Amino acid sequence: MPDIKVTPLGAGQDVGRSCILVSIGGKNIMLDCGMHMGFNDDRRFPDFSYITQNGRLTEFLDCVIISHFHLDHCGALPYMSEMVGYDGPIYMTHPTKAICPILLEDFRKITVDKKGETNFFTSQMIKDCMKKVVPLNLHQTVQVDEELEIKAYYAGHVLGAAMFQIKVGLESVVYTGDYNMTPDRHLGAAWIDKCRPDILISESTYATTIRDSKRCRERDFLKKVHETVERGGKVLIPVFALGRAQELCILLETFWERMNLKAPIYFSTGLTEKANHYYKLFITWTNQKIRKTFVQRNMFEFKHIKAFDRTYADNPGPMVVFATPGMLHAGQSLQIFKKWAGNEKNMVIMPGYCVQGTVGHKILNGQKKLEIEGRATLDVKLQVEYMSFSAHADAKGIMQLIRMAEPRNMLLVHGEAKKMEFLKDKIEQEFSISCYMPANGETTTIVTNPSVPVDISLNLLKREMALGGPLPDAKRPRTMHGTLIMKDNSLRLVSPEQALKELGLSEHQLRFTCRVQLHDPHSDTDTLGRIYTHLKSVLKSYSIQHVPDGTVIVESIVIKVTSSAEEPNLKVILLSWSYQDEELGSFLSTLLKKGLPS
Amino acid sequence: MDSDCLTLLPAVCLVLADPKQSPPDDTSLEKLLDWFKELHSQSDEQVLLQHQPCLKEFISSVCASKTTDPAILSFTLKLTGLLAGTKQGFHLLEEGGLLVCVFDREAWCVCDLWEDASVRSGWMQGLLNMLKHRQALDFICQKGLIKVILQLQNDRSLFVACLANQLLVHILNFLTSSNMTNGGNAVGSSESSLSPDWVSVSTEIMTGEVEALSSDDHPRVLQGLRLLSSVTSQCGEPIRSMLWKDVLVPLEVLINRGSESLTQPLMSVLQAAVRTPLLGKSEYKVEKLLEAMLGSGNKKESFQCAALIIKLEKCPEVLKRKAIDIILLPLQCVSAQSQDTEKMNLVLKEQLSHKASCISLLMQSLSSLAELAYTKYQFDGIPIHSVTCSVVLLLRICFGNCPSSLLYINTSTHLIGCCKVQRCGLDTLGALSMYEENVDLRKDIFSVLLDYLQSPDSHATVLKKTYQATVRWIAVCSPFPDLLHFISHDLFPVLEKRTCDLRWEVRDSTLEFITQLTVALNGNIGFIEALHTSGMVSVLLSSLADAEGYVRASAVAAVGEAVTSSFQQTVLVSNSNLLEEALKQMMTILSQDTEGFPRRAVVKAFTSWLKGSHLVTAVHPSLSSVLSLGGNDFDWEVKMHTLELAEVLMEKTLTCCPYAVQNFGSSEKTLLTQALSKLKEFGLFDLLFNCLFDCDRPVCEKACALLLKLRTLISECTDFDYALVLNLNGNRWGDEVQSRYLNKQARGSVCVTNGVTASDERTDSDLHCIKDISLPMILHILDLDDMQRTLRLSSDHVVNSARSLMEDILSAAQQSEENTVDCY
Repeated sequence: MPDIKVTPLGAGQDVGRSCILVSIGGKNIMLDCGMHMGFNDDRRFPDFSYITQNGRLTEFLDCVIISHFHLDHCGALPYMSEMVGYDGPIYMTHPTKAICPILLEDFRKITVDKKGETNFFTSQMIKDCMKKVVPLNLHQTVQVDEELEIKAYYAGHVLGAAMFQIKVGLESVVYTGDYNMTPDRHLGAAWIDKCRPDILISESTYATTIRDSKRCRERDFLKKVHETVERGGKVLIPVFALGRAQELCILLETFWERMNLKAPIYFSTGLTEKANHYYKLFITWTNQKIRKTFVQRNMFEFKHIKAFDRTYADNPGPMVVFATPGMLHAGQSLQIFKKWAGNEKNMVIMPGYCVQGTVGHKILNGQKKLEIEGRATLDVKLQVEYMSFSAHADAKGIMQLIRMAEPRNMLLVHGEAKKMEFLKDKIEQEFSISCYMPANGETTTIVTNPSVPVDISLNLLKREMALGGPLPDAKRPRTMHGTLIMKDNSLRLVSPEQALKELGLSEHQLRFTCRVQLHDPHSDTDTLGRIYTHLKSVLKSYSIQHVPDGTVIVESIVIKVTSSAEEPNLKVILLSWSYQDEELGSFLSTLLKKGLPS
Repeated sequence: MDSDCLTLLPAVCLVLADPKQSPPDDTSLEKLLDWFKELHSQSDEQVLLQHQPCLKEFISSVCASKTTDPAILSFTLKLTGLLAGTKQGFHLLEEGGLLVCVFDREAWCVCDLWEDASVRSGWMQGLLNMLKHRQALDFICQKGLIKVILQLQNDRSLFVACLANQLLVHILNFLTSSNMTNGGNAVGSSESSLSPDWVSVSTEIMTGEVEALSSDDHPRVLQGLRLLSSVTSQCGEPIRSMLWKDVLVPLEVLINRGSESLTQPLMSVLQAAVRTPLLGKSEYKVEKLLEAMLGSGNKKESFQCAALIIKLEKCPEVLKRKAIDIILLPLQCVSAQSQDTEKMNLVLKEQLSHKASCISLLMQSLSSLAELAYTKYQFDGIPIHSVTCSVVLLLRICFGNCPSSLLYINTSTHLIGCCKVQRCGLDTLGALSMYEENVDLRKDIFSVLLDYLQSPDSHATVLKKTYQATVRWIAVCSPFPDLLHFISHDLFPVLEKRTCDLRWEVRDSTLEFITQLTVALNGNIGFIEALHTSGMVSVLLSSLADAEGYVRASAVAAVGEAVTSSFQQTVLVSNSNLLEEALKQMMTILSQDTEGFPRRAVVKAFTSWLKGSHLVTAVHPSLSSVLSLGGNDFDWEVKMHTLELAEVLMEKTLTCCPYAVQNFGSSEKTLLTQALSKLKEFGLFDLLFNCLFDCDRPVCEKACALLLKLRTLISECTDFDYALVLNLNGNRWGDEVQSRYLNKQARGSVCVTNGVTASDERTDSDLHCIKDISLPMILHILDLDDMQRTLRLSSDHVVNSARSLMEDILSAAQQSEENTVDCY
């Protein structure tokens, strides 16, 4: 039986990095190629030696698909393509292709900043890797080769994020990447058609959460920023160059405009223009509201948000600063944090997750004294707030997507094992489909039962219709009998007669025979009569004939009775039937072996 | 060894052992284990043992709890193994049965924890960590753990199965290590050289291996082959030969059965064997098995085997030649070298008739050929010309440009437009430039390369490979006069078109190619003339305004090289115009471009001009602007490149500066002062001091290194003139210098040296008022040595230390809110 195999090398019961291998119809596809931000050594990349030990990824993989630009989904891509060596096609959407290098450069900077790091790639490698990328449009079916095709669907989450349908013949898999089923300030909700894939591989970050409305979180965020600015404090928002930063910028810009606030807002990286350029360029990927208002005003042209210079950090008075990197690893955001940490009027808002080994992680854990260079300590007096703006589908959203796509099987990745377990039970209960949650390195095999298209001869159809019964209906399958001819890569179902004619064969009759012995004191004729009566009572819906030549006939089954002169009570019953009645013939022989009712 | 860590350790153990606590961040446990390993490798286990009460308590409480989180249990298993890796540690843990308890698989099965792959993996990793001494092996054998490990070889988790193999290899290896054997490590040394106590261990593993190889279960055979391959390459004698004797029969059966899915693992085994002395011993049949694998090219697997045999470094020559014959067959047949088509067997015919297998076979053939070419392998019986012609012909077929009469079999339909084969073929064609005799074929080769470059259907990745191959061929053909004709009449017009391609990838590869070409033909007067008179330069200049940042950056590099080349051809009238135009556009890019790559490229171009041997005084007026713009750039790498430019400028000005400072015949002192004044005019000191206080560590480190160089130079000049003063006010770095000066004074550590001028010897308030301060004084105030020490450390060395990690674990435990798992 054909099967589909799914092996996560990352994202199997964890949220560290995504890298999932799928084998479908003889094709091998890698879904995402992420890195783990929490490690500084080789452990941050997926171990590709599990795919192929000779390092020839190009020969093994038919393509790589990247769902979106976050580093836990694409961070290992230049390492894989340029350092391990992969020359095959890489697919991602247009915005992802445009934005990926910015994030990869951001990561490279952090890597160079941390000394003693191994296996990091150069700018040239990032560029060379990007040259191998084939960009996709939404809903465009792309033929990777003659058999393999892929199609992207809108996933929300971040600009350019996509879900992918992978199809080989009639087998198909959908991989969601990260997605969001509710629209936010700048992006719409994920959508997919009823494609009924064999497996839907879905992220499950918020598998057990029903998230509160994003509006509440936004209100809370604005309130906190406003209060701090009002009391003359400074607000630091560490962000990654692209993504959530833009969402928060729109939020603050609108609020500042509405409230007529004067405190300056700065964006530190010098990437504002570039980031906004992409949002303008890919305006069709944003939500309806932004697209509508685009004609009057571009939401990404900010009036209140200005470029930051590091001397501004010492300016008196309130201000809001968006600074990179997002986890307070190093660089500008950390430098500003150190300057402002000692003042309780100030605030730092962490809008995303921070891995261990960063200052962000420490302050989110409530540490109030931080060791800095040379054993000196930094008192953290400023307010620390964590507000997750990450846009993932919650439990409700995941169920909604299943309803949309109607998969035959479900496979959960990118989540915590315990939470997945809960959601898995819920899915299996509600949709009566199997749900899997393999750990990293474990392979889930799903046997598929693909329908094979077959041409049916008109004669056979007519004959079937002549036999009565309902007219053919695609929604109500029914059994048909015929002979299957497999010739020149085509399959045809024809009547046996036509098959014989076409293939130039003559018909042979195949009959099964069987002997059953039983003790019966009556004459052979009487025994046959008793058999007839017995069968009449057992097989009520069958036509049973007692033929005068000493046989009983049921369908094609012929029954005769003989006995020997030495032992007249021992009757030998002969049964013979054609292959069409194999089941009935076996049944009768078993029945008669049990003897006749007295 | 941080004593604070040891102070924190008991508290950390308590937190980790508490089943009510959720385990810390997924990386924390691994990093904590890294710390233990580091202690272990530094032979600091004594310190660990001193803390054994808390570690022992931790381990026993994890063992006692049946509700432990799998992550914590896995960590405990690994840690226990690590601690038991020393004899002393082993005894401490064995006392009271703790070790038995930890590695009691049954117990973990009962509470379902064994179901978790991380626990199984931790269990084996623990044993691996422990297996450093004889007692550990005793423990494993006595508790019957070998059987469990053998079972885990077929685990459903790839990671666990792989670890099981690793552990078995380690055990076998351990048996042959010096403290376990009676000596004797020659090939063929028998069991007798193994201590009798351990014969049963090796027998158990080897029996398991033979069973695996004889099994009908495909995954089991696969794991068996993986183990065999690891043992062969990693274990010593007598284990290696003992195992080979045992597995020879099932191995022969597997090879003769010829299963396609096993070709790769079987070849891995044989590859491993070839690298060992087993190859020389006929009783181990390595060569025979290789021959059997290869067959005579009449099996599907033959081609894959041939490709693998070619890669063997130590391969019998006869076998290698046979493999070469086989691997080249598909290429020769498809490209219709008619004499070879006779050799074509049914299997090959069949394979070539299907698209997927045809492509795969040709790629194998081509990449093997490329590999041979890289080592400049001398083919026997096959002229290299003929092989090269086949590749050229194949590339033509893929291009759809081959007379059908040439084709023996109709594979062209599979190959026309096939990017995979095109890329691979072009790589191979490039590699074939290694053979001088191929230079005769240059006309054909350049013609096919040109076809690819001209074709509107060529994929961007194919074009890139075409450029790579072209550069290689141009490099070897450069002495030939017809090359210049090809470049100026054929190549340049195509390149001109390609710089306007709709795809940025193509435009970029084209510009990269032009840069490489200019570098490769540096000094070739004919080429330089052609470049500057063909209109190519104006094409390059217009590419500076490309819409894509990557392309603008490549255009900057290409223009940079074109300018450099023009320095060699002083007669060219267009020189000054080119330089002028280039400088104008590059300065615009540096000051206005929204992307970092082009700005980086501009600074790099200046560095390259300055480094060159030619006197480029024309760029001098722009240097101060470059230093100023580059030093204030948002992009850290632009700053880094600017510092590299500053370094070259310093070297040129301060050491052997023939042009920056004229030699007036004055004293050394005057010369240095003049040089420094020149650098001051360029704004170099502003750049260095600004960068010294940058937020990015690499920038600060580089600036610090340059300032230290400067300080050394000044200190070496005995009678340096201190008249060179810098203005502190209005500079971002001025405040930093002032505050450091005040700090130093407050600590009373300012030691005024003889060299400080009177104006420098002032009070704090004076310093606030003064604008000017001498350069040596600033260098003195800044504790550059201390700064460099800190900057040499990783920027996250504090937050990533073991102490910081432990504090994180403890503070996470104190947090009442649940740590929500989140991501980006």
